[in-house]
Amino acid sequence: MASADSILVVEDIVKRFETPDGVLTAVDHVSFDVAPGEFLAVIGPSGCGKSTLFNVIGGLLDGYDGRVSVAGETVSGPHPSIGMIFQEESTFPWRTVIDNVAFPLEIAGMGKSERYDKARHFVGLVGLDGFERRYPSELSGGMRQRVSMARTLASEPKILLMDEPFAALDEQTRLLLGDKVLQIQQDLKQTTLLITHNLTEAVQLSDRILVMTYRPGKTKRIVDIKLPRPRTSEIVGSDAFGHYVAQIWNDLREEASKGLKDDEQRVARAGAVRK
Amino acid sequence: MAAAGHMTASGAPARTGGMTLRRQVLLLRIALLAGLLGIWEAAAASGLLFRDVVPSLLTIGRSLFELLAVPDFQWEVGITTLWVPDFYRHLWITMAEVGAGMTIGGFSGLAVGLALGANPFLSKAFERFLYYLGPTPKIIFFPLMIMWFGVGPGSKVAMGTISCFFPIVLSAAAGMRQIESVLIRVGRSFRLNTWQMVTKIYLPAMRQPIVNGVRLGLGVAVIGTLLAETKLSNRGVGFLIIDAYNTFDMPRMYSLLIVLFVVAIGANALVGRASRG
Repeated sequence: MASADSILVVEDIVKRFETPDGVLTAVDHVSFDVAPGEFLAVIGPSGCGKSTLFNVIGGLLDGYDGRVSVAGETVSGPHPSIGMIFQEESTFPWRTVIDNVAFPLEIAGMGKSERYDKARHFVGLVGLDGFERRYPSELSGGMRQRVSMARTLASEPKILLMDEPFAALDEQTRLLLGDKVLQIQQDLKQTTLLITHNLTEAVQLSDRILVMTYRPGKTKRIVDIKLPRPRTSEIVGSDAFGHYVAQIWNDLREEASKGLKDDEQRVARAGAVRK
Repeated sequence: MAAAGHMTASGAPARTGGMTLRRQVLLLRIALLAGLLGIWEAAAASGLLFRDVVPSLLTIGRSLFELLAVPDFQWEVGITTLWVPDFYRHLWITMAEVGAGMTIGGFSGLAVGLALGANPFLSKAFERFLYYLGPTPKIIFFPLMIMWFGVGPGSKVAMGTISCFFPIVLSAAAGMRQIESVLIRVGRSFRLNTWQMVTKIYLPAMRQPIVNGVRLGLGVAVIGTLLAETKLSNRGVGFLIIDAYNTFDMPRMYSLLIVLFVVAIGANALVGRASRG
């Protein structure tokens, strides 16, 4: 992957936090780059600094070492070419579906009829035609997450940055929404960076997967996923898919068990202090 | 997945048995009201209670008519002079005082509440005092208000202001802290400026707590203003009530209370509609 062709370059990111127990290194010298149209997943156990990385790339967090650049331009603060989709419920409950999706266009100063036309296109793209006038409270969790996705896509970001967008959904809904993401990515040739702890999701969607280590979060391995495209969720049943999952799980298990041990020790220590 | 998307926010009543239940509730209410009025009328007719403390319903009705429909005052409005019942002038004065108190107390409460909600340091330093002062009956400040603002409308407006300030400031501060942090991050990721953050995210997200604060504030502003009007005053509905009491005109006092009750219901309904609209 030649750096000159990359649209997103992440170089040597180090982010430390001051905590009551001393300095915690959340992200430790992580580097990678993403080519235009590529789908890259960053996977790691909880506590590996994935969300920190997400916030650094999205420009919501500063005070880090290293450099993030989009098309050669260094990022400081939220960048117009990066569209973020958050893990939490993030639709505006006081706006209808169409007004949620039209939000970035409204902020950009686009006229009413023009932005509604455009927003309607993105509502259709995530498969929510007919729900334009509904409020988020009237929708299911999966539908709301699709509204958030359409809202971010409506701003037409060069790079889509997603932080566990389906974490709160059940596995079946997640696989089906994965199909939607695959289809959108194919249609829009959307460069995407997905942060996740879900192995199936990562293999189902990605061209490459970056596996992170548990605390401090370093790059453990980068795996090319050479499954054919276009894909659908049916690929989950194939041998090749199983092979990738097994291979990555091997790396991941080691890291996840470190995290588990760490948690157990922390709970034990806290208990000892209380006594 | 789509099946979960068909709940109505208002919670429509169940079709089976809904009508009969509603009718039963209505009947019970009518029965209760009729019963209370019957007991009242019986107490008035019995003569057991001191004369006029419980006047008959007919007497109250006549007094209500006099209060609302018999002109006894020349009200100069601009260049014209209206021949109206004096009550409307007093009602207007009270409403203007409450309105002024709500405006001053409401906007300052909102501003201070936003500052406290946005700044944990300020909130830590001052919010505790607001919680102490909030439930304190504001009438204890009235002597001070008279000294500062005189016996005229100034001290009444001041009472309305300090009454509504507290519920509004506390709900605005709490409302701001309740905003989901992810919504603010969404705003930042779309690169909103400060003004857009306030108008497109903070205020709409805080709408419900602010409306609740205004509702509570309106209630206590009316109480504060009316209480103030009952002391050292010659204008306003509060004055009319205490004047009727001093001249032992009980039917008039009851009529005033009935009118106030209706006005209060109307005001509450208006605020309620504003919160939904």
